[in-house]
Formats: sequence, C-alpha cells, structure tokens
Amino acid sequence: MDEPIIRLDHISKKLSVKNGGEEIVTKILVDISFDIAQGEFTAITGPSGSGKTTLLYLMGGLDRPDTGRAFLDGQEISAMEEEELAEMRNAKLGFVYQFHFLLPEFSAVENVMMPMLARGRASTGEARRRAAELLSELGLSDRLHNKPNQLSGGQQQRVAIARALANSPKVLLADEPTGNLDSKNAETIYKLFSDLNTRTGQTIVVVTHDEHFASETKRILHILDGQVSSDRQLR
Amino acid sequence: MKINYHLFMIALRQLLNRKRQTFLTLSGISVGVMVLITAVSLMDGLLQSFIQKIVEIAPHVIVSGEKVRPTVPDQLVESHGNTHVTFIKNVSREDQEVIKNYPRIESLIQRDSLVELISPSVSTDVIGMFGTISEPIQLFGIIPALEDGIEKFSKNMISGSLSDLEKTPDGIMLGSSVAKDFTSRVGDRMQIVAPSGQIFSVRVVGIFMTGINDIDDNCYVNLRLGQNIGGFSPDEASNLYIRVNNLSRDGLVARTIEQETNYRAITWEEKAASVVALFKMISGIVYFLVFFVIMVAGFGVANVLITNVLEKVRDIAVMKSLGFKRSEITWIYLIQGIMVALVGATIGCVLGFVLIEIMSSIPMASSSASTIRTDHLMMGKNPMYFVGASIFALIVSMVAAVGPSRSAARVNPVEILRGER
Repeated sequence: MDEPIIRLDHISKKLSVKNGGEEIVTKILVDISFDIAQGEFTAITGPSGSGKTTLLYLMGGLDRPDTGRAFLDGQEISAMEEEELAEMRNAKLGFVYQFHFLLPEFSAVENVMMPMLARGRASTGEARRRAAELLSELGLSDRLHNKPNQLSGGQQQRVAIARALANSPKVLLADEPTGNLDSKNAETIYKLFSDLNTRTGQTIVVVTHDEHFASETKRILHILDGQVSSDRQLR
Repeated sequence: MKINYHLFMIALRQLLNRKRQTFLTLSGISVGVMVLITAVSLMDGLLQSFIQKIVEIAPHVIVSGEKVRPTVPDQLVESHGNTHVTFIKNVSREDQEVIKNYPRIESLIQRDSLVELISPSVSTDVIGMFGTISEPIQLFGIIPALEDGIEKFSKNMISGSLSDLEKTPDGIMLGSSVAKDFTSRVGDRMQIVAPSGQIFSVRVVGIFMTGINDIDDNCYVNLRLGQNIGGFSPDEASNLYIRVNNLSRDGLVARTIEQETNYRAITWEEKAASVVALFKMISGIVYFLVFFVIMVAGFGVANVLITNVLEKVRDIAVMKSLGFKRSEITWIYLIQGIMVALVGATIGCVLGFVLIEIMSSIPMASSSASTIRTDHLMMGKNPMYFVGASIFALIVSMVAAVGPSRSAARVNPVEILRGER
C-alpha cells in the first residue's frame, strides 16, 4: 500500500458567478494537497461553503482543478478527456449523493444494473444477478422490484449505495449520504459504510458535517476556507 | 457503437412516463403519415385513371398526312458553275395533308412486331342537317371493326350497334352530344353537306357515349362513304390509328414509322404531355402542403423530447456521473425520436390504408359511360406510398431529435448535482 489510491497535488479551484454585469470570483479551494491510501475510510468535514463537496467532485473526476493535479489509482485524472473520465468513473468509482438520485422509472434492481450496463460492460443477465446479490447484502432482498417511490428514504439510499458498488469500485465517494435521513436510518448507513470498509477493505471518502458520522471513520480531514485545517488519524 | 438494450429501456420508460404527451406526438405523426399516404394515393389514382382512360380509348400512335421532311422545298438556291438556280415561290398546289396509298404504308408499318392494330380513317368537316336543325360536325370515315379496336365503340353504344354500321353502307353513328343537339334517334334519316356542296343522305344506326367530349362530338360513317364525302380517293386516308402491344415502346414505333414513311407519327404521351404535366404540377403542390403536416408533427417530436430532456436533466447528470458516455446519452433521445416515428408511422400506415379503402369505395355518380366505369373514386395503390411516407416521417423525427439529444449530451453533471442542494 505504498502507492496512494488518491493523490491531490497543490489543487486550487475558483468559482466565478455572474451576478448581473459583474463577475464574482470565489476561491473555493486553495493549494490543497493530501493522499488517501488504499483501504482508508476518510471523512471530509467542514462548515457549509468550505469547498468539501467540490473537493469530492475533483477526486471523482466530475470537476477539474484550475491548478494542481489530481491522481486516481496512479492516473492523472485532471489531465483526462471527458470520455476517459466517464470511463474511469464507471470502472473505478462509485458515487453516493445526499439525495438518492435513482432513476424513477426503474426498479431497485434495474437502477443497480445501470452502471454495469453502461458502456456495454456486462450482459443484462449478469448485471441482474449481481445487482440482486448486492441488494440482498444490503438487506433489500424483498425490495428488488420496487420503484424508488415505493421505498423509504433509508431504503432508497441503500439502493443508491448498491448502485455505487455495482462495478466494484476502487473508491466509494459519498456526499452527505445521511444528510436527508432521520437518525435511525442514518445510523444504518454509518454501520453499512463502516462494515464495508472493515469487511472488504473498501476505500471510502465521505463528505459530511455530521460529527457523529465522522467519528465512526478512521481519518478526518477538516476543511476551512478552502484549505485543510486539520488532518486527524482516528484509528 | 453498440446500442444496448438498457438505452432502449431508458428511452422507452421515459416516453411512457409522459403518456399523454407521447400519445399526442404519436397522433401527430400518425395523422401526418396518413394524410401523406392518402394524398399520394389520390393524386396517383387520378393520374392513373386519366392515363388508363386515354390508353384505353385513344390510339397509342397517330400517323397523320403531315410530312416529316417537306417533299418540295419552300426555297431553294443552288449553284452549278456559273448557273444559279433560285426558287422564288413554290407554285405547287397546296396539298391536303393526306396519307397517299395508305394500304402500302399500312403494310410497311405492319412489319413492326410491336404494332397490334392499324385503323385507317378520313376526317372531314361537314354540315349535318336533321329536320330544321343544321350544325357543323366532324365526320370520320372508318372501318368499324378496326376502329372499334382503338376507340372501343361497341362497349359504349347507348343505342343501335356497331355491326349495324358495318352492314349499312349509308349508315352513320353519332356521338351522344351530336345526337342530343339534333334530337335524332336510331333509324332517323339525316343529310350531310360535303365541302364540295354535294348532299349525302345517311341513316342513323347507332349512338355512342365515351364520356370524353372530344369524341362524343364526332360522327362516324364507313370509310368508303367518308372518302366520297371528303373527296378522297379510295387509297387515301387522313390518319392511321395504331395500337401497340407494348406501351413503353410506342415512342420507338412512332420514330420508326416517321423514318420509313416520312409521315408524322405522334404518341399519346406527346399528345397528352401538357395534361400530364399539369397533373404532376398539381400533385407537387399537394405534396408540398402535406409536407408541412409532417413538419408540424416533427415539431411535436422535438417538443416531447425537449420536455423529456429538461425534466430528466438530473437523471442525465446522474447517468453521466455513473459513467454513461456522451454517445449513450445522445442515443437515448435519438431512440425516443425513432420510436415515436416508427410507432406513429405504423399507425399512420394502417389509418392510411383504411382511409384509402374507404375513399375508393365511396360511390361517385359517373357523369359518363365509359370503358372504365368509374362508379367510385379511383385511388392509387402501391406499397411504396407506405414505405415512402414512413421513411419521411422517420427522417423528420430524427432531425427533430438531434437538437434535444445533443443538449442532453452536453449536460454538465457538476452544475446539476450541485444545484440540487
């Protein structure tokens, strides 16, 4: 585990917002550098507007830094073309958002199949089998064929996690995954992430402002005003 | 790229999610395709029935007395050494345009295996008199059995019969318009004043009606009588009417005749060219108008796709974050356009077929008796109408789908996902 799975190297990012005629430029991230090793379970915390979500998107190749370089699994993603990034996201990353963002027309199992079917990666039968397996592992074996609107908030989020895990990603990136859940459901999700990390060694980066959730992880990176203000190793 | 099953499913589910709008769009395409098919069928049917009518009762090739190359030049200047010869005026008598020694010409023409039938005739402008009524008429001298093969009189007789004309040397057969003007019936005697002033007495043996005014205005006598009235000699004819056994080769037949006999020969297409051109122009205008019906249907397709893209922008962003390629997103919306077009075109074809059947069974009081008794609307029937209209609808829908699918492919996931909070 000498080679870090994620490396951010002097990353800066500005966001310009047009407000009427004038352009307001906000520095979101300022010269950030850190590594995340394989198998780590990291929480990124900080007040809202501190740039933690942007940081996550940069790690996931959804957004690009203005300066600096981002690496995933040894590849410089900040230099990739859009189509390469899409391929890389599909193969190596899983995303979980604050909202479940499931496709409403499709059942739980079909939603989980999507990342496997995208780019013709897997056959339909293969994808269906793996999707059902994943959902069962997350305790949803009796909800396979329900549409998202027939599921509770906690169940929806678990389907979203199953979808993120569909292609056995190198890194699972989660953006406030419990932000929209009650404490009981949130607890289930913490446990799930924690289990996943200890059981399978899944690398997880989770953005949260939930102190309790953060304390369950192994490392907390605190972001303040676009910079890493503290980096604590918990376990 | 390989278009996978999941893209079809996503496209289909999104369409089904907006059932009402999708249904309206489908209706637009269906109606457009139906109207296009019906219009093409109607116009094609009209043209076909018109041509069929011509071909049925008109000669395919008409040979007239006009010379292709003038036998006596109008003006001639020639030099032989010091001698110059100049024609100043052609003083030869103004020849009536007749085919001389027509039996010989006939035997020349007959050698062509494409020629099925030759009917010689003479035509003269005469005055007809019956009781107190006198009127100019065009009188044709014919050999009834032969001419029947061209103009199909025997099928169009409203009284008397063609064989009576054959059996009666002084018999005359009247077109229905003429008979109406003279109020004459079969068995009546009437007088014909020839151009020479001589009066011939003839007996009405038959009245016919073809439904074509040009023909119903004419009268027919036996060739010999016609030649006498018009002052032709027995081996002269004004026209030779020809039927060929292969319609597509009639032009060839006409050109061969002109070369071999030096008499002008024209085909029915040449005679009817202006009418056919008019038909084609009217069809063009109709197609142009119908074109807009499908264009409007195309706007409907664009509308439903734009709505789908706008409504699904979050799902598109999510799919992109899951690693869907640009081309995959593009295909989802192109497939929607294709699906709407295919289903709409299929329904339109069925509706069009039904409408054509209904329209072609509408009874139409035929204003004329004719060999083709059009007692109902004649509609063209050709599978190409359906194929053509469907392809057209497909192209319009695909073009309509290009814009929305490209804007879907351009969705930036970060902007959309961030905007959700």
